[in-house]
Amino acid sequence: MNSEWQTVIGIEIHAQINSKSKLFSSSSTEFGSAPNTQVSLVDAAMPGMLPVINKFCIEQAVKSGIGLNAKINKKSIFDRKNYFYQDLPQGYQISQFKDPIVGSGSIEIEIDGTKKAIGIERLHLEQDAGKSLHDQDPNLTFVDLNRSGIALMEIVSDPDMASPEEAVAYVKKVRSILRYLDTCDGNMEQGSLRADINVSVRKKGESLGTRCELKNLNSFKHITSAINFEVARQIKIIENGEEIKQETRLYDVSSDTTKSMRSKEDAHDYRYFPDPDLLPLNLDEKWIEKIKNELPELPDEKKDRFITQYKISNYDAEVLTSDRQTSEYFEEVISNRNPKLVVSWVASELFAALNKENLSIENSPVNSKQLGELIDEIEKGTISNRAAKEVFEEMCVSKKSVQEIINDKGLIQISDTSEIEKFINQVLVDNPINVEKYKNGKTKLLGFFIGEVMKVTKGKANPGLLNQIVKKKLDN
Amino acid sequence: MIEFNKKITLKLAKLSRLSLSNSQLENLEKDLTSILSFIDQLKEINTDSIDPTSNSLDQNLILRDDLAEDVLSNEKLLQNVPESELGFFVVPKVIE
Amino acid sequence: MLENLTIEQTSKLLNSKKASALEITSHYLKKVSDANKLNCFITVSEDHAIKAAIQTDNRISKNKKIGLLDGVPLAYKDLFCTNEILTTASSKILSNFIPTYESTVTSNCQKEGAIVLGKLNCDEFAMGSTNKTSFYGPVINPWKSNESDEDLVPGGSSGGSAASVAADLCIASLGTDTGGSIRQPASFTGLVGLKPSYGRVSRWGVVAFASSLDQAGPICKTVEDASILLEAISGHDKKDSTSSIEPNEHFYKNLNSSVKDLKIGIPKEYLSDDLPEEIQGYWNEGKKILSENGAEIVEISLPSTKTALPAYYIIAPAEASSNLSRYDGVRYGLRVKGENLTEMYELTRSEGFGDEVKRRIMMGTYVLSSGYYDAYYIKAQKVRSIIKSDFDLAFKSVDAIFTPTTPNTAFPISKEELDPVQNYLNDIFTVPANLAGLPAISIPFGLSKSGLPIGMQLITNTFKEQTLLNIAKNLQDSINFNIYPNQWWK
Repeated sequence: MNSEWQTVIGIEIHAQINSKSKLFSSSSTEFGSAPNTQVSLVDAAMPGMLPVINKFCIEQAVKSGIGLNAKINKKSIFDRKNYFYQDLPQGYQISQFKDPIVGSGSIEIEIDGTKKAIGIERLHLEQDAGKSLHDQDPNLTFVDLNRSGIALMEIVSDPDMASPEEAVAYVKKVRSILRYLDTCDGNMEQGSLRADINVSVRKKGESLGTRCELKNLNSFKHITSAINFEVARQIKIIENGEEIKQETRLYDVSSDTTKSMRSKEDAHDYRYFPDPDLLPLNLDEKWIEKIKNELPELPDEKKDRFITQYKISNYDAEVLTSDRQTSEYFEEVISNRNPKLVVSWVASELFAALNKENLSIENSPVNSKQLGELIDEIEKGTISNRAAKEVFEEMCVSKKSVQEIINDKGLIQISDTSEIEKFINQVLVDNPINVEKYKNGKTKLLGFFIGEVMKVTKGKANPGLLNQIVKKKLDN
Repeated sequence: MIEFNKKITLKLAKLSRLSLSNSQLENLEKDLTSILSFIDQLKEINTDSIDPTSNSLDQNLILRDDLAEDVLSNEKLLQNVPESELGFFVVPKVIE
Repeated sequence: MLENLTIEQTSKLLNSKKASALEITSHYLKKVSDANKLNCFITVSEDHAIKAAIQTDNRISKNKKIGLLDGVPLAYKDLFCTNEILTTASSKILSNFIPTYESTVTSNCQKEGAIVLGKLNCDEFAMGSTNKTSFYGPVINPWKSNESDEDLVPGGSSGGSAASVAADLCIASLGTDTGGSIRQPASFTGLVGLKPSYGRVSRWGVVAFASSLDQAGPICKTVEDASILLEAISGHDKKDSTSSIEPNEHFYKNLNSSVKDLKIGIPKEYLSDDLPEEIQGYWNEGKKILSENGAEIVEISLPSTKTALPAYYIIAPAEASSNLSRYDGVRYGLRVKGENLTEMYELTRSEGFGDEVKRRIMMGTYVLSSGYYDAYYIKAQKVRSIIKSDFDLAFKSVDAIFTPTTPNTAFPISKEELDPVQNYLNDIFTVPANLAGLPAISIPFGLSKSGLPIGMQLITNTFKEQTLLNIAKNLQDSINFNIYPNQWWK
């Protein structure tokens, strides 16, 4: 990108609260049910139906607000946002406009070790809409209201991001915080977390440009591609002397472009007003305090603790704490074990194995207890690190225990000094010329002798002992 | 006094999803102008430093427990539907 | 024996086994079918009624516990959703709608053993004060002037609820009151009509007009009946977030007619030169009665009175415009085919809604639209705060407020107002109680020179329905109105 241009990005995240029932009705929120089977009279906006708010959703919003270091508003109001759409049965969405449940806050993102604060403007509660299917019939759109009325938290950032990398880091960080708090499962494929991204460009020093909103992005890859395309598009328009039109655009995966949304073209006047079916929500200070006190450790705190407690690097701590489940797995493995060893096993071997199979850590074929046992065998010297990798591979595909695999494969390391000496003596006898050279000062040859011993022991000699004994024998 | 002209009336009809004939629009313009001049009386009332009341009931919002207990069959949901397919509500094709 | 029965009398007849519920129900069903001219009913639920009557008779013959309304034939304004019984809100847009659910209020009545004869005509979506806005045609007031044979309006919006009780087609009925829709028709038909405190009665399952103002309530022949019916329908409903947690009361059992040492306020702003003399006359008579019976009459001031009507005609349409958005032809009700979604919406709603409903939707859309929201909607909500605090202040010194219910008596159906505002003025005395959420009752006082009923209104502080009913009973017992129209429609 031409460096005289600056990108300005603000993000609205829609995060589905992981409640059992909807925000204003008692129908189930379960994903993947048959169409229109989780729709109550309230969700379908039958005549005379009224909303009653879900207490759990309020708690989750407050928790999330605290997690985003934001102000919790003791009084908030639910408003109606009026517009007609086939998947909006009431003809209005219940949302929060002027008085959201959570006010301003801030979170930190980190890219290549550089930290940056991103402002949070607000978090409010609102209802999700239903789902429209346009590809079932040439003349009809099908409407499924199962999602209609599910509780969403809309988290609005300040326009503080300047690149797709920052945008992705921000969404990742918010997602991580919500997953730590267990307020949203963060499942982007199922649409539990989606982002609307406001993008504008300007020349350095100039005032903010006209923004376009990129709707419903549900993967980090799409966020990056959509922003990149949009920035290039906007710069081209301006450089051609034309003006950016403020509009809502949809990212099209197949063409990797963004397209104007025709259905959102109509000028809107949402006519927000307080929902007369609901009274103001007043939160008790003590109740907020209680939630605050029960909050789990969040990613930033955990990262700092990992660095001091386990003396691991900033990078490793970041990787291990970006996800709550990973951090918990790591801490289960690390108890009384060597941090360096554990970090390398979790962050390298385990991650590689999970990535290969596209698995999340919750579905890891090797659980934390098993990985701990494997590391114990390395620490005890029963097997070498190299052999351990072989064991680990087997663990990923079989149900056998660590011991069984080691025995079956005959991988037990030779740690008996006299046995190792026997092999060394043989190698020294077989290579008199190199022994001579070593004694004359060519100490580099130490590696050669070790390699030879490993060859004859098929890699099973304890490398520490081997090194020690070979040196002792040659130096004598 | 504000008068409703055709442009405002049409805009309101559009927002309200009403399609109106020219004579209906004209009648509405007249009626709304009259209603507006009636409600404009309120402009004389000083309401500085007064909070609006959107509901007269002075009570905390009552909260519901998170129970997924409301089950309505697809058949009952669609009992009054003008048109449906395979358990879905259907509308004329919408282009996004 | 079965003429002009009250709930009290019906219960006595049934308990003493002088009549069976089936007998009474069949008698009333016959009366209903003989009164088609009045156009009170949109739906007659004969089968449901007969079945329920047999159940009551079974309970009585087996000496089982019977409810407050056991065996009492009632009818409901067609705004209450009734399970598997057509519910139209008197609108074409719902002219084919059969709910799969029962409103809390009507379900409460059924739990007490009530028998539902059918669904009553009203103004479309309860918008009106003449019952002329109904898709099913106007209801005709059973009362006629002694000066002309012209058909008169029964008032509205609960016109069918009032006319059906006045014509004795049912023993009592339920209506809804957003700006006077129970009290004004009760006044036009010589009946008792009660609007409870906002939140006293659940709104769940009642087709919404203006959510912050709507309350269901009874239209009855006596204050006793009103207290029975109120008790039956009241109580907290966890399905309605605006339902009060105030405990329900035994209004009937605790009913007494003493007004001794009560202070009754007469708001000076309700008196104007426009108020017909005969209405003023009955108002004065009421003051005299109350004072003679031991109450103290106090002149009070409610300075914000004249702001109530304009505020109401901002707030009610605003809420209505949003509440009526759900009638879009997608999930239930009328659908008119269109080339695309927007066209389908527009054709459906244009054909489905009548002129008054369209007017209010347009007005409501206007006062909420950007640029006008603060000037109208917020302004009206602020005025509402002033109105409420005026009442709060008044109730520091008085127990009740006594006013006329309407500035007029029933007028001819043929009278067409060129200006919609003229119709709105019918609500001038009733609207303030809705804006402030207060309970109010209209009771019949006498007839005008032309022989038409005139009602007076009592208002008390929120959740003081017992005081309201007690004062109303005192007036009722002193006046002894008890006049019914000639049954010319037979």
